[in-house]
Amino acid sequence: MEGDPEAVITHLSSPVTVNWGITARCNFVCSHCFSRLDPSEEMSPEDALRVVEILAEQSVMFLNYGTGEPLLRSDLFPLTEHAVSKGLKVTMNSNGSLLDAAVARRTREAGFHSVGISIDSATPATHDAFRRMPGSFEKAVRAARLLREEGVPLTVSSVICQVNHGDFPALVALAKELGAHTIDLHNFKCSGLGGLNKEALDLSPDEWRRFYEAAVPLRDREKGIGIAFDDPILSLLGAEEKGKLVAGSVCGKLSLYIKPNGEITPCGFIPVTIGHILRDDFAEVWHGSKVLEHLRTKAAAGKCSGCAKFSSCLGGCTARAYAVYGAYDAPDPHCWSEDGPEIRRNTPSP
Amino acid sequence: MIVPKRNPDVVWRLEKKTHETAWEEARKGGEYEDLGVLTLMVKGGIHQLNLVGAEIWSRIDGTSAVEKIAGEVGALFGWEGEETEEAVLDFLQGIAEQGWVTLEESAGREAAPMWKGTRKR
Repeated sequence: MEGDPEAVITHLSSPVTVNWGITARCNFVCSHCFSRLDPSEEMSPEDALRVVEILAEQSVMFLNYGTGEPLLRSDLFPLTEHAVSKGLKVTMNSNGSLLDAAVARRTREAGFHSVGISIDSATPATHDAFRRMPGSFEKAVRAARLLREEGVPLTVSSVICQVNHGDFPALVALAKELGAHTIDLHNFKCSGLGGLNKEALDLSPDEWRRFYEAAVPLRDREKGIGIAFDDPILSLLGAEEKGKLVAGSVCGKLSLYIKPNGEITPCGFIPVTIGHILRDDFAEVWHGSKVLEHLRTKAAAGKCSGCAKFSSCLGGCTARAYAVYGAYDAPDPHCWSEDGPEIRRNTPSP
Repeated sequence: MIVPKRNPDVVWRLEKKTHETAWEEARKGGEYEDLGVLTLMVKGGIHQLNLVGAEIWSRIDGTSAVEKIAGEVGALFGWEGEETEEAVLDFLQGIAEQGWVTLEESAGREAAPMWKGTRKR
């Protein structure tokens, strides 16, 4: 089945992963954050439990809390316990600042499958400046250690951008030393504040090429920790991650995003509402959304037309293309294969 | 007697609707082999099994031996004889190489390698 996106879309009864912004609140204001400009109000605890029921009913496998700082939600642990009891594998991304020994213990008790702590540089000052929060590196590292002491599976989550693309080996070494099983080296997304700060933070296509040319060999030889990129543009180097199942972006094919107010979007970085988790039939959204259909059947546009790599990258990251050009089919602005993409706008309404 | 056990790190689900569709096709002699009936997530990778693979996987409970699983799956598809058991063992050896299951002899000792090859669904 692998590598046959049309077959997979036909057969997947629901997303494998739902990324859920359970809160829009955050105690940080990071320069790259995709959600700081979103004024969405979060759901009540009762409605949040209904969301879990719906996702469990649909046999969603993984539920990941992202957006905002999940630990700010007072019902985080009861909600998680309920989700785990329903068979969901629950993960979250946290900046770690609120994670002390008691919270780490509670995290284990609630049954979290894994917890990701954001660390963007092995140099404390660099991390603190990027997160715009003095002392945040120290707290993040402490949180990671406390989670490991409790036996909670740990990942380290890093956003690759201008501040850290040159020193990622040190970041990988730090994550390994902290006991993370995986480090996610996320590619920069120009959505939300990331869009406003794109000039200062994003890499040029050539810088992305050089980053991946250095990072992929490290991934391939590193034995002590998994290094994940989740970037369809890796196809340009023939270095796609193993077991990917679908070509191109996974958004709308394997995963969906739920905003704090319950609106469903293809991913957190594509601000196009395709339904509401509490008001619409989830299966109908998954199988019937015209936007998702478009994302699953992207056509080559601009410089992608005739590109030999299109069948494996499908135009690269749809979120980036949409953020920069307003078109799902536009070539990924990170693509280094050639310059001067010709863009056509053909984005349907939801 | 070899007993397969699932790797507890493998997260999986049956794709119910496709499972039904695949059985409809199988019963009328249609093509079902390429339908992804069961989805597995392991080590960040995602994979699918077809109907036969899914029926085998669903019967791995940590106590049932290969012979029992092969007997049940063979009965489902109208297959008989040693060939079914060999095919099931082939499949299990393949996914054991992927780390999705372990194969143990009934006394709890890991079975000696009996087969090498690519994963089959």
